[in-house]
Amino acid sequence: MRTILFAMRVLAFCLIASGCAPKEVDHNAPVTGKTPCIALIMKSLANEFFSTMAEGARKHHNDNKKTYDLVVNGMKNETDFSEQVTLIEQMVARSVQSIVIAPADSKAIIPALKRARDAGVLVINIDNRLDPNVLIEVGLTIPFVGPDNWEGAKKAGEAVARMLTKGDSVAIVEGIPTAMNSQERCRGLRDAMNDAGMNIVSSQSGQWEMEKANSIAAAMLSEYPSLKAILCANDSMALGVVAAVAASGRSADVKVTGFDNTSAVGEMIVNGRIVATVDQHGDQLAVHGIEIALSVLAGNSTPKDTTTAVDLVMRKDAR
Amino acid sequence: MKILKDHGDTVGILAVWILLVLLFGVLSDHFLSANTLTTLAGRIPALTVIAAGMTLVLIVGGIDLSVGSVLGLSSAVLGLLMVDWKVPLVISAPIAIVVGMLAGTVNGLFTVGLRIPSFLVTLGMLEICRGAAYLVTRSQTKYIGASVEPLASMLPGTTFPISFFLSVGVVVGLQVLLEKTILGRHIVAIGTNEHAVRLAGIDPRPAKILVFLVCGTCAGVGSLFHCARLGSADPNAGSGMELAAIAAVVIGGTSLLGGRGSVIKTFIGVLIVATLEAGLAQIGASEPLKRVVTGAVIIAAVSVDVFRRRCIGENV
Repeated sequence: MRTILFAMRVLAFCLIASGCAPKEVDHNAPVTGKTPCIALIMKSLANEFFSTMAEGARKHHNDNKKTYDLVVNGMKNETDFSEQVTLIEQMVARSVQSIVIAPADSKAIIPALKRARDAGVLVINIDNRLDPNVLIEVGLTIPFVGPDNWEGAKKAGEAVARMLTKGDSVAIVEGIPTAMNSQERCRGLRDAMNDAGMNIVSSQSGQWEMEKANSIAAAMLSEYPSLKAILCANDSMALGVVAAVAASGRSADVKVTGFDNTSAVGEMIVNGRIVATVDQHGDQLAVHGIEIALSVLAGNSTPKDTTTAVDLVMRKDAR
Repeated sequence: MKILKDHGDTVGILAVWILLVLLFGVLSDHFLSANTLTTLAGRIPALTVIAAGMTLVLIVGGIDLSVGSVLGLSSAVLGLLMVDWKVPLVISAPIAIVVGMLAGTVNGLFTVGLRIPSFLVTLGMLEICRGAAYLVTRSQTKYIGASVEPLASMLPGTTFPISFFLSVGVVVGLQVLLEKTILGRHIVAIGTNEHAVRLAGIDPRPAKILVFLVCGTCAGVGSLFHCARLGSADPNAGSGMELAAIAAVVIGGTSLLGGRGSVIKTFIGVLIVATLEAGLAQIGASEPLKRVVTGAVIIAAVSVDVFRRRCIGENV
């Protein structure tokens, strides 16, 4: 038994070491003299948004194999940020040159990132923005690359508002309340609705989940017979809401919107069951982060925060 | 008093449910309506069949933590077959059920064959099936659409979906199995005292394996209802459902220690859980409040049951 354990440890060590072991000197490589190793740390790879992001990064790496090495890590549970802290520590122990991270929590991850920076690791923040106040408090500046969730949601909200009349009842299905991107999206949706003079009758959390959103929407539809639109903070929940709307037989009256432009909603957009979603180009998000990391590692100055494009996705004739 | 002694359990939790319905009826403007009943009937079939299967497992003295993940895997397989490979529902549905059955059988074989506690085996299966579900779908939700929805459409002449009647059928079927068959007697006996069963010359192993098989199959069937309701197969489907199912079963008075329980009462437990969720959403309760109230109701319902048993002199 002990031998097996020892063998497993050796094997694990080899696996960890192999990824970023110094390689032969590459003439195109930056001043360090070896290929830099970049660690991409994401939230749950079980979430389509992040698996797409990882795929985009891997593709970029395949095309640039000589320029850098890539390690992709995701966590099991979206809300368990301690897992991300462990990943950060592991990557520092593995002496990667840079960590590109989509934080699971905007505040709680910062101390671990500070330790990484103190160990000389370049940190780039993507997707979900770290809390600016806490960053100032610990004296860190970390460049951020990511979409403006507020703007994306506002665009979707405005698109729906154009299909409604002033004073109509609408409802919002939120993501996990503690997540910054859910808060930002809901703020965008609320702003769009208030600007257009709509009446938000209910706003509840669907926990990012299809099934939860379905139940909540069913309840909202029963409670508010005059409901005209249900705005969702992501596409998964929008799918659940569409099913609830269909079950209540009010597909013609109630408009549904999503966010993320996942593959499953494509058909829904075409047949009009979801009127709008927002594409934040997840596949390019990590790539942007990696490119900035490479540029800084090559000796260029650290850029300011970069906002990536958010595009409204609707059926062509509905625009 | 005799009626209370014979059917007191059922009357007791039925009263809890009716109380809940009335409470939400007062708190919300539109809760007491045919519409709410229809929505409720539409959302419980998956949980109902899973909780029904879970009841048998708990009665036999085991536990199955993998049901939510098994539902996820069966959904994933259904989505893969119907969306990517264009296999019609009549063929993909049985395959999805068989996936659940296989997972359940593996649970049973390891639990019984190697005498590993079912808590551990099914905890492992929980991880395996969830991982497999992500692998099968490449973490993407599959939109199936109209081809899977007939199951969730209304039974002609009623305002309840077909899936609801099928799930009630499963409940009745398993209750009959439990009460009217020799196998059912064996299941209760094994849960009460497995050693005694063995001394009586009965091999408890086949019955135990069968119970896990049935539970897995129920999860497979549940996946059909789940996909039909949502029109999509979601690899995250059913996460946390094992706890909702266990809550419903325990509210229904089934003992976590085995040897006592009823599938019919589990069904009322499901009604309580679902009514609570629907009602809280309908009155627009905040997320933290929903959780606190749900937890409190679970404890209250179980307490009422235990209290009633003590009153009629049962040993709890």
